[in-house]
Amino acid sequence: MSAPSQAAAPQPVAEETPLLEVTDLAVEFRTAEGTVRAVDGLSYRVEAGRTLAIVGESGSGKSVSSLAVMGLLPPTARVTRGSARLAGTDLLALRPRQHRAYCGERVAMVFQDALAALNPVHTVGYQLTEALRARRGLSRADARARAIELLDLVKVPNARARVKEYPHQFSGGMRQRVMIASALAMDPEVLIADEPTTALDVTVQAQVLQLLAEIQAERRMGLVLITHDLGVVAGVADDVTVMYAGRAVEQAPVGPLYAAPAHPYTRALLRSIPSTAGADRGTRRRLPVIPGRPPSPAARPSGCPFHPRCDVAQDLCRTEVPPLTGPAPARLSACHFAADVLANRPPETGGTHE
Amino acid sequence: MGRYILRRAVQAVGTLLLVMLLLHLLTTVAIQLNGNPAQAFFGDKVATPAQIAAVEERFDLDDPCYDQVGNPCLGPFVERLGQYAQGDFGTNLRGREVADIVATAAPNTLRLFCIVLVTWLALGMVLGSVAARWRGSAGDHGIRLTSVLIDAFPVFVLLIVYRYVVAVPLHGWAEDTFGADSWPPYWFKPSFDPDHPWATVLVPGILLGLAGSAAFIRLVRASQLESYQGDHVRTARSKGLVERHVVVHHVVRNSSVPVVTAVGLTFAEALGGAVITEGLMNIYGMGGVLWGAVRDDDVSLVLGVVTLLAAVTVVVMIVVDIAYALLDPRIRYE
Repeated sequence: MSAPSQAAAPQPVAEETPLLEVTDLAVEFRTAEGTVRAVDGLSYRVEAGRTLAIVGESGSGKSVSSLAVMGLLPPTARVTRGSARLAGTDLLALRPRQHRAYCGERVAMVFQDALAALNPVHTVGYQLTEALRARRGLSRADARARAIELLDLVKVPNARARVKEYPHQFSGGMRQRVMIASALAMDPEVLIADEPTTALDVTVQAQVLQLLAEIQAERRMGLVLITHDLGVVAGVADDVTVMYAGRAVEQAPVGPLYAAPAHPYTRALLRSIPSTAGADRGTRRRLPVIPGRPPSPAARPSGCPFHPRCDVAQDLCRTEVPPLTGPAPARLSACHFAADVLANRPPETGGTHE
Repeated sequence: MGRYILRRAVQAVGTLLLVMLLLHLLTTVAIQLNGNPAQAFFGDKVATPAQIAAVEERFDLDDPCYDQVGNPCLGPFVERLGQYAQGDFGTNLRGREVADIVATAAPNTLRLFCIVLVTWLALGMVLGSVAARWRGSAGDHGIRLTSVLIDAFPVFVLLIVYRYVVAVPLHGWAEDTFGADSWPPYWFKPSFDPDHPWATVLVPGILLGLAGSAAFIRLVRASQLESYQGDHVRTARSKGLVERHVVVHHVVRNSSVPVVTAVGLTFAEALGGAVITEGLMNIYGMGGVLWGAVRDDDVSLVLGVVTLLAAVTVVVMIVVDIAYALLDPRIRYE
């Protein structure tokens, strides 16, 4: 297949120079069944002060792609192609030690499940500032002051007392705030948040997302928000990249994407978000689901990887991999019939939109 | 934390009393079934009933309950507890104070244990950490193979080979090279020397530690491998910390909890190893004393020594529990 590159296609947003630009990223895993491509030609860009949401089901490669950017891939995984430029520097071309030095300092990551992601045997204060102490030589007293400052920043009440506590003494939402504070410790330019609200209650989810959005706006950080929940995205993201089977299938600003999706997968995802509108009218409508399961990375279907589950699949889709192209300005979609999907009309059989 | 320690201490006293009671019941049954050990005092000589009665009285074996099979003999037990509480541990069959015997023998066993412990920790932590850090490398395979080989080699074989094959030539060589009055000849002395307890216990201790370290190496490796997989290690790396910092503060530190537990558990097990080591290397220690006491039907000595060993084990368990709580804050606040 041809490697889709945003440079050749219309830009969704291009107001500023990109802070983080991932181009044609491919990641492979060595498994017992052979080499498996978890990410295959992913490109995206994040500008300062903007939020990019990467949406996809589990196994779509969304987390793996961000781990690759952070240099945190497990030993069985390998970046085979592509670049991740942070303000011009290709992180993936750096030696591991230099790459590590960029982490935390300029690009930081918030992980899901803060209970596991925080170390149970160290105090919260220690974990918030251990990088500052180890890398910038902060004194114990300065580190403590900074830890309190960071907890205040993420609105953890009674920060002065809580820096001495351990992660298991925090509630789920507070723990996730600590996780965020720890990522912010060195004032990174780009923050990658990998499903930061997955383990939380709905109300706490909203608070944590709100907090992320506030901090991001205040500091003009670039934020990459990885989620499987398209419903979460609407309120906070500026741009959306929808991933499926290791590839970006649609990239667009959030408003137009919600108003008129240009890929059948995005459309199906949007339809399967529960809404309260139907319940109010007393109509009982079954929530549509996407039939089938996401393909295993070891056995991807031929042609368009989504075609076995697609409601408008044609013969062409079974054989040809659709390139990521623009059916409209600022829109990118990897569908042979993107223009038809965008216009919400049935695809013209026989003709291709190349 | 204070309450935690207090609760553990109370539990420990209860455990100790229970051990003493069990021990008492076992010896009582043994006496009731096998006949009165006062006989043993006379060896092959035939004693008159009056002589036996005198000996029985001297060793507190004169209670009639010892002749009634199934009688738990709680009277003498309570009496003995009272004597122990006053620091009176009785005498052995030859009239020597049990407390005195223990005071001579225990330090040697403790020396042996110190060396064993240091060997364990040094070998286990270093080799286990190296194997986990470079998992799947030649070093990892080598260390795992070594640990299996150590396990396959019983400690008494190790000691016999050392004593009869290695120690004598090494001892001679060290004497020739460093002089008879220097330290090295004592390190390789094939038997214990009470005038140089540390030097002559060093090599046997290291060998006993080596024998016990195999399981320990594997435990350290396994628990560190688990830590390496942990999300918190990935978080630490994402902060840009150098790998050495990540390994020390997030891998080794976190995997120290199961390691400390294992040290406590294996400590009790090492007592068995100490009997063999002390016997083979002629070390005058608790293992040897206990072995002799059991062989000679020396009830007071057996009871005294086992009670002391139980007390030591219970104290070690408390120390382990406290270390556990210090290392893992989640335990502290349960």
